[in-house]
Amino acid sequence: MKKTLFVITMLLVSTLLFAQQMLTVKGKVTDASNVGLPGVTVAIQGSAQGTITDIDGNYILQVSSDAVLVYSFIGFEKQEIPVNNQTDINVVLQESMKLVDEVVVVGYGEMKVKDLTSSITTVKSDDLAKTPSGQPMQALQGKVSGMQIVSSGAPGEAPTVRVRGIGSYPGIGDTNPLYVVDGMFFDDITFLNPSDIASISVLKDASAAAIYGVRAANGVILIETKSGSKNQKAIISYDGYYGTQVAQNVVKMANAEQFTAMAYESGSDPDVSYIENAMQRYGRSRVNPNVPDVNTDWYDAILRHGQVQNHSINVAGGGESATYSIGASYFEEQGILDMKNEFERFNLRSKLDYEANDWFTIGGNVLFSNSTRYAPDNSAWSRAYWAVPIMPVIDELNVDAWPTPYSDATVLGYRGPQNPFTSMDFSNDRTKNRKTLANFYAKIDILPSKLSFKTTYNASIESQLIRNVRLPYYITDNYRRDEEDASVTSRTNTYFNQIWDNVVTYTDSFGDHNLTVMLGSEYRDEAYDRLNAQGLGFPYQNEESWYVGQSSNIPVEQVYDEASRYYGLSYFGRISYNFKNRYLLYGTYRADGTSKYQEKWGYFPTVGAGWVLSEEGFMQDIDFLDYLKLRASWGQLGNNSVPASDGASTTDNVYLAIDDIYEYGTQTSSTFDYLKWEVTEETNFGVTTNWLNNRLSAEADYYIRDTKNAVIPIQVPFVGGSVRRNLGEIRNSGFELALNWSDKINSDLSYSVGFNMSTLKNEVRDLYGQEYIDGGSAEFRQRSIVGESILAFYGWETDGVYSSWDEVNNDPIAVANNLEPGDYKYKDQQAEGEEGYGVIDGEDRVVLGSYLPSFMYGGNLGLQYKNFEFSASFYGQTGNKILNRKRGQVIWTPDLNMDADLATNRTQISLDENNNVVDVVKVGKYPSSKGLRKGWNQKMSDYFVEDGAFFRIQNVQLAYNLKGQEWFGTAMPNMRISLTAERPLTVFNYNGFNPEVSNGVDLQTYPIPAVYTIGLNVKF
Amino acid sequence: MTMKTIYKFIIVANVIFALVMVSSCSDKLDELPLNTSFTEDVDYTISENMILPLKGAYEAVYTRGWEEFPLISVRGDDVNHGGLGDQQDYAETDKYNYNKDFWMYNSLWQVSYNDIFMCHSAMEQIEKYQEFASNPALGDQYIAEAKVLRAFLLFQVTRVWGDVFIPTNSVPTDLVGVMPTTKDEMMQHLSDQMDEAIPYLLDIHPNKRSDIRGGVTKYTALAIQALANLELKNYQGVADATSEIINSGEFKLSGDFYNLFKIPGKLDDENIFEYQYSDFGQASGDRTSYLFAFFGPQGAFYNPKVEGAGGGWGFYEPSIKWIKFMLDRGETTRLQTSVLFTPRGIAEIQKDAAYATLPEWISNVTPSGDEVLDYPRAMFSSGKHYLPSDQLIPGRNDYGSNNNFRCIRYAEVLLMHAEALTRGASSSVMTADEAVNEVRGRAGLTDLSGVTSEQVMDEKFAELAMEWGTRFYDMVRLGNYAELSYEGRTFTEDKIYLPYPQNQVDQLPVLKDYQR
Repeated sequence: MKKTLFVITMLLVSTLLFAQQMLTVKGKVTDASNVGLPGVTVAIQGSAQGTITDIDGNYILQVSSDAVLVYSFIGFEKQEIPVNNQTDINVVLQESMKLVDEVVVVGYGEMKVKDLTSSITTVKSDDLAKTPSGQPMQALQGKVSGMQIVSSGAPGEAPTVRVRGIGSYPGIGDTNPLYVVDGMFFDDITFLNPSDIASISVLKDASAAAIYGVRAANGVILIETKSGSKNQKAIISYDGYYGTQVAQNVVKMANAEQFTAMAYESGSDPDVSYIENAMQRYGRSRVNPNVPDVNTDWYDAILRHGQVQNHSINVAGGGESATYSIGASYFEEQGILDMKNEFERFNLRSKLDYEANDWFTIGGNVLFSNSTRYAPDNSAWSRAYWAVPIMPVIDELNVDAWPTPYSDATVLGYRGPQNPFTSMDFSNDRTKNRKTLANFYAKIDILPSKLSFKTTYNASIESQLIRNVRLPYYITDNYRRDEEDASVTSRTNTYFNQIWDNVVTYTDSFGDHNLTVMLGSEYRDEAYDRLNAQGLGFPYQNEESWYVGQSSNIPVEQVYDEASRYYGLSYFGRISYNFKNRYLLYGTYRADGTSKYQEKWGYFPTVGAGWVLSEEGFMQDIDFLDYLKLRASWGQLGNNSVPASDGASTTDNVYLAIDDIYEYGTQTSSTFDYLKWEVTEETNFGVTTNWLNNRLSAEADYYIRDTKNAVIPIQVPFVGGSVRRNLGEIRNSGFELALNWSDKINSDLSYSVGFNMSTLKNEVRDLYGQEYIDGGSAEFRQRSIVGESILAFYGWETDGVYSSWDEVNNDPIAVANNLEPGDYKYKDQQAEGEEGYGVIDGEDRVVLGSYLPSFMYGGNLGLQYKNFEFSASFYGQTGNKILNRKRGQVIWTPDLNMDADLATNRTQISLDENNNVVDVVKVGKYPSSKGLRKGWNQKMSDYFVEDGAFFRIQNVQLAYNLKGQEWFGTAMPNMRISLTAERPLTVFNYNGFNPEVSNGVDLQTYPIPAVYTIGLNVKF
Repeated sequence: MTMKTIYKFIIVANVIFALVMVSSCSDKLDELPLNTSFTEDVDYTISENMILPLKGAYEAVYTRGWEEFPLISVRGDDVNHGGLGDQQDYAETDKYNYNKDFWMYNSLWQVSYNDIFMCHSAMEQIEKYQEFASNPALGDQYIAEAKVLRAFLLFQVTRVWGDVFIPTNSVPTDLVGVMPTTKDEMMQHLSDQMDEAIPYLLDIHPNKRSDIRGGVTKYTALAIQALANLELKNYQGVADATSEIINSGEFKLSGDFYNLFKIPGKLDDENIFEYQYSDFGQASGDRTSYLFAFFGPQGAFYNPKVEGAGGGWGFYEPSIKWIKFMLDRGETTRLQTSVLFTPRGIAEIQKDAAYATLPEWISNVTPSGDEVLDYPRAMFSSGKHYLPSDQLIPGRNDYGSNNNFRCIRYAEVLLMHAEALTRGASSSVMTADEAVNEVRGRAGLTDLSGVTSEQVMDEKFAELAMEWGTRFYDMVRLGNYAELSYEGRTFTEDKIYLPYPQNQVDQLPVLKDYQR
């Protein structure tokens, strides 16, 4: 049959040959800046014939003299040029402003942007490339409205990603979104190199995400790795940068002089004696003889500059029936904490698609990632805050110390040794991570371009080898780790996840009716194993001996294994319909089964509708309006990040000494979790519109997202701890807006400006009839109250400090609580006459704020002039609070150092010999040094809870393009050289290092460094 | 055409096969979580495992936070907070200024109740084994032991807060909405519980047990019963319980008071109840321990005989009032055992002209040869919580490592007996004089005759200082607030109980307006 067809075609062609004169047309297709465009389709109008431009944009084609050539390329305006006997046709394609023709991945398929009824934001590889980070999601900070990215400063650590607020109670499961990398599900994507990614799509609303059912509640992020395209000569490209990371906004700590003054005003004789001990040991300062001759800036001591580099090579291309993309990349990052603290990753990947025949396509994709991470000792961040400045880093007087004579604060009398360097130097926490992601698919076209079936097998195999080493050291008798206590902990985690998808898709048009139906099933299997062992007293001198087997002592308790295996089974379907491209309807349904919970099955529907007003006749006359669509959608999502519930009480083994014999017993918990599905329901309204020749585009959305049956840890009275129950309803709602303007002034100069913003209101709607549920810790209470934000900081409001004895003596509250000048005044929340007026107690606590920002905004500016490119972006947030937990440490250990703001703005007092306050010397914002030690002033209050708003210049990049250059007679490849400053400036008021604290409690958060890089991009 | 039909058929068959394959996996959803021992999976027919929940209860009771004992015991005139400049609200508690937000209050409450519920859980588990056990009576004994452990914790909680809650099972939430029990009702409840337990308990000294050496026996229950009845001022009840202990002949005072609190005194004949810990005879590795460092002299100012032995945090300072009281009595053994002196502390005593000349033995070097230098946070350390460096297992340097924590001693039983008799109770087993003199004799003091209540209280002060706040609770019981008003403090009746922790008030609304 095929032969017959071929003969007929040949006959037809030869007939034409005689009818028309044939020409050989050649030419070059370029973009506005005269750079050749590879891969442009050059088609002969009205026929199936055509060709594709080569890497330089050249093409050659046999056509009849009166043919019309159609030049088309994604992202560019289509052009039609009649041949009219020309033999050289060079074409300049104009970039298309009409992005609505684009296609986006939507999960188990693709859709045209203009058919969407939901809220999806896509970020392309070019935008990712601007951010010099090892973490793909970091590049999205400030770029996607409604998405909060909280950076992480530690090498190899993923940022916290929140899509539209917090729907799930924090701290229960991981609240990471679902990442779908080429079809495979992941909880984190630290293994991916950003340069391997073609696009990242954020499915923001429930309607878009619902197709992922149970996994979708925290948002879904679809990632496609780079692939080749058909009929494309191989493109070999190199991308790389090298740079350095520098700590920003380093907290100023109280110096030796301030600290000494604080100690003298502390009312604590031991503290004064520690100062005297320091003067005896280290001498007196020549500037001020009452201050020890040491002034250590601990943050300065523990910080360093870290280098960061990335190199990736990618080869992509394709022929008639196959496309390929193969790449290798290397990334290295050193942390800014001065210890072995780094991340190194080597990735290989290949992607192949092959059309075996006209009905059968097969493809495979393999990504291998090998990374090594040396984790920082995060306690160094808080220890450096607390360590007293009157102690040097190295104390040569510790003559017996080895291997390094670090200082020890207990020598001066302090309770703890304080020095952060021992834990930095003598800890070595290494994680080797080898991960392979493989997926293979076969696609069968049952009815060509109408009905197809695709089966995909995805597997991810990960092996984590963790080795935590604690090396011995000796500083003093009280600050040491003996050889027999030196430990090596070895842990192996293995993850093996499989997903098998089967999807049938049917697409058809009946007149003005366009319909796509998809049906599918999915089987998931997620298995995890762990083996852990610890050895004490190992030969620590050589790293080759850092093995449990080399140890002299292996404690029984530290040898254990763990495992879990969960199965999932799902059926899902999607219908997308439009009439005349004007009226859009959309719906998906997913039935999800899991072995994780007591309730096995969950059902997740969604519907959406859209109205493209600009397609209506009555809108056609409006010149400045190019496109206008109204959207509405509703959907339900499940959340299976909630850890599995036991559903019944469990029995654990415990160990104890009975008559010096090691024995074991069992303990049975009487409190246990029992969980149902946590369901998120969301309604979204949106507008998508383009104006002024598509130069201005705007996208606005309003959503209400309710988490029902929210899993909430209920504090168990009496015993502490908590059990989880589906008890709550949490609402997130917000408005999102993204505006983009881009224009080309002339062929040399073009620019673009973008702005996006989002609001967020997080509210606890119901707690099973209870008024509130407590969270946080007993000392730093966070309370979820109906009508307020989840886990809001909850405590007393301060109202200045008592500035004189008169004021103290005239206030019955102060008298009742034995207060002195320099202590805080708290607001009495009851009015005169109300019960509880005149006393400060638990009833005077109020909500002090939420750790979630209520407003986030971002923007960018791009400028292109000839071969120069300039881009800048900014990001900011307001409305969130941070608990300065470092300051709160005073509750447990009062003699530590404090930040300079606290020292400078303290209330200064004079004390008599019995350490009673005589008078106030200077009234300050904060209590006196003595006051800071009193429980009264340590109440959870707005003193600890600070404003977390910040504004940041996110990224500034200057680049120069070298195109079509010839050096010494040789054609040079296209090159791009760039200078990038990532996060060069952050402005905030918070008294800490870092306003980015994911859960709002800043105890030992790794600071976010600025990164300065030089980059090179070469295309052969 | 036929070829096309065939391949379409193959495709459709494949599609159906794929979908069916997926469906056939649905039974996987019923798989149970891996690596979990579900309580319902426990095989209760294995009778030899019936002891495991009981050992679990012992583990729960032995595992204590460092903040609990200090908070229970700091308020008496025998001991001060020490740790100057640190844990301000702990110091304030010692001075009877209470802060319901202070973390130690909440922690003591939670940790104690957690273990009280764990004792209930153990009883419930043992009952399940009993159904199948060939020897259910053994289960009765185990349950009785768990009852006694529970009672000891509940006794301490009640002394601190007065009116607290009586758990009746292992489910904490069952107590929500229940009103607290008054202190007297609770003490009666504990006494009744001991009556219930005693018939099932072993009638031997704890250190003679072969299964759980040092565990609970009949005499532990009797001692707790005596303590509870003392709080109730039911002195005949005290006399009856103590008489039974004394009459058994199982217990005797240790001849070496100094070492009674140290390694040689672990599971001594004098000890009725103690928390057990061990280094298991090894230089490193597995270890269970109490955090004795809290009591130790500050490390940088501690010069141990055995080099490398660590010091402590400098809290819990014997009061000068008590030291002078002991000097006045001419005590050596008990004073030397109970106090570690610093040069500064010695000088401080001598500032009082009446004590300018001190006995020669008073020194900042302990009888074991460890030297205590001046340290900023306190002038004295508790000797009863001190372990000489030469008693540490080489390789273990933590202060007090490998030592047990004494809870109830026979000496206290004797003195309770004596007090009860002087307050009108009767006993045919031993007279008040005999009981007091037995204790005095061990301390190297001469006999008394016709002892008064006053003298017994003095003897208790001398013998039991730094132990479990016995002195404070005695003075509270007797309304002798004058003794508690010392060194600048003023004690009044409203200071008897700590306020309920704010965290508990938030979770248990009945506490909000509860009046004790």
